[in-house]
Amino acid sequence: MLGKRNWQFDAYGTERLMRRRVLETVFDEVVLVNVLDSGDSAHLALMKRPELGVTLTKLHCWELTQFSKCVFMDADTMVLSNIDELFEREELSAAPDPGWPDCFNSGVFVYRPSIETYNQLLQFATENGSFDGADQGLLNTFFSSWATTDMSKHLPFIYNLSSTSVYSYLPAFKAFGANTKVVHFLGSTKPWNYTYDSRTKSIKGNMDDPKIVHPEFLDMWWDTYTANVLPLLEQHGIVKESITGVNMLSGLVYTLAFSCGFCREAEVSEAMSHISISASSPALPTVSSEERKERWEQGQADYLGVDSFDNIKKKLDTYLQ
Amino acid sequence: MPLARSLSMTSLNGLPQWEDEDLPVEDLLLFEVSWEVTNKVGGIYTVIQTKAKITADEWGENYFLVGPYFEHNVKTQVEACEPPNPAVKKAMDTMKSQGCQVFFGRWLIEGSPYVLLFDIGSAAWNLDKWKGEFWDVSNIGIPFHDREANDAVIFGSLTAWFLKELSCQFDDKPNIIAHFHEWQAGVGLILSRSQKLPVATIFTTHATLLGRYLCAANIDFYNNLDQFDIDKEAGERQIYHRYCMERASVHCAHVFTTVSQITAIEAEHMLKRNPDVVTPNGLNIKKFSAMHEFQNLHSMYKARIQEFIRGHFYGHLDFSLEKTLFFFIAGRYEFSNKGADMFLEALSRLNFLLRVHKTDVTVVVFFIMPAKTNNFNVETLKGQAVRKQLWDTAQSVKEKFGKKLYNALLKGEIPDLNKILDRDDITIMKRAIFSTQRHCLPPVTTHNMIDDGNDPILNTIRRIGLFNNRTDRVKVILHPEFLSSTSPLLPLDYEEFVRGCHLGVFPSYYEPWGYTPAECTVMGIPSVTTNLSGFGCFMQEHVADPAAYGIYIVDRRFRSPDESCNQLTQFLYGFCQQSRRQRIIQRNRTERLSDLLDWRYLGRYYMHARHLALSRTFPDKFEMEPSAPPKTEGFRYPRPSSVPPSPSVSQHSSPHQSEGEDEDEDERYDEDEEAERDRQNIKSPFSLGVLPQGKKKQHGEYRN
Repeated sequence: MLGKRNWQFDAYGTERLMRRRVLETVFDEVVLVNVLDSGDSAHLALMKRPELGVTLTKLHCWELTQFSKCVFMDADTMVLSNIDELFEREELSAAPDPGWPDCFNSGVFVYRPSIETYNQLLQFATENGSFDGADQGLLNTFFSSWATTDMSKHLPFIYNLSSTSVYSYLPAFKAFGANTKVVHFLGSTKPWNYTYDSRTKSIKGNMDDPKIVHPEFLDMWWDTYTANVLPLLEQHGIVKESITGVNMLSGLVYTLAFSCGFCREAEVSEAMSHISISASSPALPTVSSEERKERWEQGQADYLGVDSFDNIKKKLDTYLQ
Repeated sequence: MPLARSLSMTSLNGLPQWEDEDLPVEDLLLFEVSWEVTNKVGGIYTVIQTKAKITADEWGENYFLVGPYFEHNVKTQVEACEPPNPAVKKAMDTMKSQGCQVFFGRWLIEGSPYVLLFDIGSAAWNLDKWKGEFWDVSNIGIPFHDREANDAVIFGSLTAWFLKELSCQFDDKPNIIAHFHEWQAGVGLILSRSQKLPVATIFTTHATLLGRYLCAANIDFYNNLDQFDIDKEAGERQIYHRYCMERASVHCAHVFTTVSQITAIEAEHMLKRNPDVVTPNGLNIKKFSAMHEFQNLHSMYKARIQEFIRGHFYGHLDFSLEKTLFFFIAGRYEFSNKGADMFLEALSRLNFLLRVHKTDVTVVVFFIMPAKTNNFNVETLKGQAVRKQLWDTAQSVKEKFGKKLYNALLKGEIPDLNKILDRDDITIMKRAIFSTQRHCLPPVTTHNMIDDGNDPILNTIRRIGLFNNRTDRVKVILHPEFLSSTSPLLPLDYEEFVRGCHLGVFPSYYEPWGYTPAECTVMGIPSVTTNLSGFGCFMQEHVADPAAYGIYIVDRRFRSPDESCNQLTQFLYGFCQQSRRQRIIQRNRTERLSDLLDWRYLGRYYMHARHLALSRTFPDKFEMEPSAPPKTEGFRYPRPSSVPPSPSVSQHSSPHQSEGEDEDEDERYDEDEEAERDRQNIKSPFSLGVLPQGKKKQHGEYRN
């Protein structure tokens, strides 16, 4: 699926690097990015505009100058068929954003790595910021001619089909959906936020969610995960077969999705130690109260462990006579 | 115990007084908190709305309902007024001064109780803070995406805040009771307890969240009650936070109640606490002044249903409508939870029985379960049009016939009957008859179903082959929409329709209370229920021979599905074998049970719960006999001595046999006498404490 080229992944949340070894078995090259510690121009840019933290991480892809041309893909995209033909395109080729088609969606784009462009982007970010506070706003302002000049830089929508369009324009989806090559799970609920029933091979949960009207992409994501990723995780001892509670897995995937990316030599050992910690005990009691609350709020309560009702009861009993 | 109230002929008034000491309500304030106060979402609304009257009668100015403020609800249901209680007003003003909208008024329902409504939207800016506070006291977090749960946190925080502002104004009295319904209100309870407010708390669940989910997933629920890893089940179903809110409320409440014995068992395993009191749901019962008025209504509405049947089965009316029984099932479209699966299977067996015994009884079964449709189907509408056409033809011929007859009589002649209808008339009539020819079977559904191919009822009908053939003695009609008196097909509202039917069939698997059979009962219509429904359990305890009183209880708890289905089939078959007279007697008996379901009787369980909560919260002030909580077996309706053959035991091979038996029955059945005896019987003391053993045994005598 990934060929010999370097597929580069979105890489925010760099403090959650844990699954590096697994990633290396799948990807040719894994690089960790950590803007805060880098001390380079990106760091300086970040000091001036702290709100762009995550955004600037993405720009690092222009630093991959060992390659002449690259395709950037968000971690919440899923490739359905070979898309090598994208390398025929020029910088900057991207598909329109379903919310505002005069802008491109920055979840999938073709570009040419160049330190020069990288620095220009950083400078641009520092001076102008981003109209949406994220990378898409920045890139759309920087490559502002995209909407009007060269149609060959408009990737067909099937290279970045946002899952929300399925229900916003259902007839079109019925007519053209079968050709889809890349699905992009836009929105706040990602595939790994759902619970998957491995027996029925379908996701479970809140059927009011309009996205579940067409759950086939979500099911496909989970199929891929259980068939291809999970065995790797088990093989590397990150997931023990005994704890196949599906929610647990979705929690791991959550971490995984945020941990792909770049890495500097010095940080390898640190990342490795992260792996071993999480392998021995995925839910250490040292998790702070704030973190636990956050997990609840993302629907990821550790109900088999620290958040079990017995513990809640103990808490309640402190003020009940 | 003297009975002060006058007795109506058909009912059992004068239920025994509760031997509970009256609470000093003038020194108490009662708040009943629910998300469904003035806000109809589900069944809790009905409970609270119907119960308000007896509670308001008891508590007067000291009774307040607390709910969420929604403009459209308030505009139509609430009349604003000033709070009569200065302390309540002060607490409200404090909250208002800090930017929260609080609304006070009278709810325009029977009893017109005071309502206190919190505007959730106007307080939403506190959400993060309150979620943090709730986390700090309970370690339960609320996912962003669950709007309802987030609203529950806001509602609960406002409730607790109000109770705090109120209680801090009082020293010794008045004491406060806060009664919370369902998990949506539970946060208020948990927060009140964590702040150690001097408030007696009661929590009532009307079902458990997890129980409903498990049953809907077709899991063998009742046989595995003690096997479930409930944290895990809730977590996998992504309702863990809601389940924790519910269970934490149960854990924190001074008194915990549920609505039925069966839900009590469910709660024991799904919430890990035995309810302190079972508080069954009642109805507000209106008595007709005329005796047997409900019987007249039955025949009136039955005639309307018969009209519909004439149209629906045009061209196939080879059965006698006089000997046709109308059964129905109604409710939310939950195929297995509501027992529609078992009902269909039993109907298939009933069809077989009626055919092999060559019975002349026909059964028409209505399924009133709303599903997605594209309006009525053509064939059904055509049926009604054809019926109308025949009616018009008959009317016009009758008119002409009448004129000729009149003229002949004026002339002093007996008309020649061969000539009184001319060729034209004959032609018109022949054409009308031809138009009733039908090349298809009468449809099994009245609407165009949107998901026809996957509809569970239709698919089962296809599988068991109940297609309304001429030979079928059981005919089915699926009406996938609520009934309405403005419908062009069946212009009846639900109540009228129920009154016109002979039997309601509700073989539910999951039914915490079961208002549908209860409504049948108060209208004097017999019904089938199960021992997995709260209503069924309740009746089993109160009535010695429920079947004689028109309450057929299918055992779905201790029998295999096939056995339960056979039992249901026997009930239905037995019902079909009753004569008209026997059915009338049975309806009289059914209607007599309605007092049991009256809030005037059932409200006392709530009173007991309140007393218990006070005695636990303020043990110095409110004493209570350390006796067992009242059993629901306060009294029992005995087995009637002149039993019209209880369907479960009558297995006649010939339908004519019952005619002869009728004569016999005439001598043995005296309704006034029987009603009087029922009345006598329920005078047995109904106390909180130990029931006199002698009495109890006496009741037992009736059982066999």
